[in-house]
Amino acid sequence: MTQWEQARTETVSPDITEPTNALPARYFTDPEIFELEKEKIFGQYWVYAGHANTIADQGRYFTRTVGDRELVVRRGEDGDVRAFENFSARTGEPVVDETPMTDAGRVDATELEDAEEVRVDSIGPLLFVNLSDDPMALAEQAGVMKERLEALPLGEYEHGCRIASEVECNWKVFAGNYSECDHCQANHQDWIKGIELNDSELEVNDYHWVLHYTHDAEVEDELRIHDAREAQFHYLWPNFTINMYGTADGYGTYIIDPIDTGRFRLIADYYFRDGDLSEEEREFVRTSRQLQEEDFELVERQWAGLKTGALAQAQLGPNEHTVHRLHQLAQEAYDA
Amino acid sequence: MSEQRHPPYAASCPDCDVDLESDAPNEIVDFYRRHHRVTGHDVAFTRIDPALGEAVDEDDLDEVYTLADVVAQLEGEYDDGAPIGAVAAAMSERGTSLGETLEEVHEIRMNGALYEPRDDHLRAF
Repeated sequence: MTQWEQARTETVSPDITEPTNALPARYFTDPEIFELEKEKIFGQYWVYAGHANTIADQGRYFTRTVGDRELVVRRGEDGDVRAFENFSARTGEPVVDETPMTDAGRVDATELEDAEEVRVDSIGPLLFVNLSDDPMALAEQAGVMKERLEALPLGEYEHGCRIASEVECNWKVFAGNYSECDHCQANHQDWIKGIELNDSELEVNDYHWVLHYTHDAEVEDELRIHDAREAQFHYLWPNFTINMYGTADGYGTYIIDPIDTGRFRLIADYYFRDGDLSEEEREFVRTSRQLQEEDFELVERQWAGLKTGALAQAQLGPNEHTVHRLHQLAQEAYDA
Repeated sequence: MSEQRHPPYAASCPDCDVDLESDAPNEIVDFYRRHHRVTGHDVAFTRIDPALGEAVDEDDLDEVYTLADVVAQLEGEYDDGAPIGAVAAAMSERGTSLGETLEEVHEIRMNGALYEPRDDHLRAF
């Protein structure tokens, strides 16, 4: 074996407690790990399901697949939202067809009588589900994010549009890319012109981190629903983000939804004061899409590199403590 | 004597003696990518599904002239985005080569106005 191969195929450390140690590459590329994640990550933590405003009326529902389990999230006759496994114990069949929240359906409560109930909780209008028998509280998982988001009028905004893109890359590669901005200078050359990177900060909490991006003084950032003159990109473990922009009166959410080891779907939803997009809002979403495509190209290249097996474990840089937190949480989940 | 059924899509390289027939327009794109990577040649459609032409021509033809317009019209015909090969076939009817279409798709995607709900399938935003 050559020195080159030895140097690069050896894992730096079997765990990632050292701040510069990234999650070893096999956790991204091994199909068995994805099966493990269904149980240990998506079967344990609170996972974002959808927005309550899309099922505002009694009897309205949408479906959402978490891991291998298809769920029905429904607004009951008492106004509360409940979630069920989309499986009737009586008939052995799904109760309803797949129905995204952007095209919510209506189902009678009696049709879900034989379906197993699943835990639901919310942060403002954001609905989360949990498949564990004994989960931690959503308030604990979300930490300060819950208080901060509930102080904002998120429920006053309507769903404007959804863009769902399939990307050829492990979901954690994109999650890591979202969580740091070292790539922004080279990869988002239009967007970065309006950002003061030296004044921007990364905030790391237990299961949640925030990228605070300070706008350049010349950027008109009056249009925002939060107080600080900045864009705030919140990541909530395991696969949800909420994007509070400074330059649009609205917000966006991302679900980084794994399809298999090597593919995920980015489900991007945008919310504005009015559900019908104005020309300015369409232009805003198009700019957001441009950033997504720039990231897709980057993470697909990273993924192609990871798959070669030449690198057993990456070393994180000093501005990547959010990525380190993401990788630590993954390893904690695998080891639990 | 039975009449031989032709798959709805066919393409060939004008510079080489290679061609491909397929029911799936994206197989023509895969053929182009393989062939172009090795030879640098473009590949031209020699047959496209007549239904495709009708789908794109439904509206006033004068209004349909950009690639994004073609995608916007074709995506309604498919559940999960228009296959990039179908878009390339429709564009070839308008004088744009397969290679030029793929380049333009990439450029428009990077501006955010096209996206892929699944690999090699397009929707317009």
